[in-house]
Amino acid sequence: MTEQELLLGLQHGEESAFKELVTRFQDKVFNTALGLLQHHTEAEDIAQEVFTQVYRSIQNFKGESLLSTWIYRITVTKSLDHLRSKKRKKRFGFLSSLFGDNNMPVYELEDFNHPGVLQEKKEDAAILFKMIELLPQNQRTAFVLNKVEELSYREIAAILNTTESAVDSLLQRAKQNLRKKLNEFPP
Amino acid sequence: MKNKFSETKVLSIMESLRGIQPAAAPDFFYARLKGKMQPAEEKKTFFMLRPAFITTALSLFLIVNVFSLLNINKEQKQHFSLQNKKPATIESFAKAYDLNTESVYE
Repeated sequence: MTEQELLLGLQHGEESAFKELVTRFQDKVFNTALGLLQHHTEAEDIAQEVFTQVYRSIQNFKGESLLSTWIYRITVTKSLDHLRSKKRKKRFGFLSSLFGDNNMPVYELEDFNHPGVLQEKKEDAAILFKMIELLPQNQRTAFVLNKVEELSYREIAAILNTTESAVDSLLQRAKQNLRKKLNEFPP
Repeated sequence: MKNKFSETKVLSIMESLRGIQPAAAPDFFYARLKGKMQPAEEKKTFFMLRPAFITTALSLFLIVNVFSLLNINKEQKQHFSLQNKKPATIESFAKAYDLNTESVYE
């Protein structure tokens, strides 16, 4: 099925087209969300939200970008929104625990182990992910898309709606910041 | 004084994502997604079957019933008390049943 056929099927509400879309993109969406959120359950929830959003707003997709770019953009937006709301909850964690706000525990991020990292690099990668968490959101997004999802500068630029040179600059700053933080970090 | 990472260690950490394999979505992802999407659609269609709606409707029905029963009782009591205050006379009886002399001989 070509992308055009897939789009037509989706716009006509065909379930087979939706199933094909999920099969084609589920790993990409999940891997990106996992890299940004560093939490398996949350990444799965966000991936589900992404496909629900795609299903609901496919009529608004004008085809000005690639379908994959559009889906990556939704994934990044949803993941960053989730991170912001988590940060807010953490900030007001004390108050919400007093008032029993839906009784959800506001937990600290544990050491994250990406399942795709080579066995001998797992320990180092866990430290790196901890440092990635401290990066500003745009640097973090560019770094994850490039290093975890292995997207090219052009693809990242399309997703972030920016230029390739801006992506290059974001990645350079991300690497500098990571080095700086690693030098400050006690082993 | 804090121990810091050596330059070799920093390099090793920075390069630790080289050769990373993309993580695969969990098993039965599509089935779970469909399961999550369905309740939202059902909610719109069958909102009348939701326990909250049923309970509210039943409570409203009961309240209206109790209220009207109380009102009827009150009216009946008022009616009886009025009747007790004014004992029926032959004139009132005749008036109530339209038994005045003209109507009898008509």
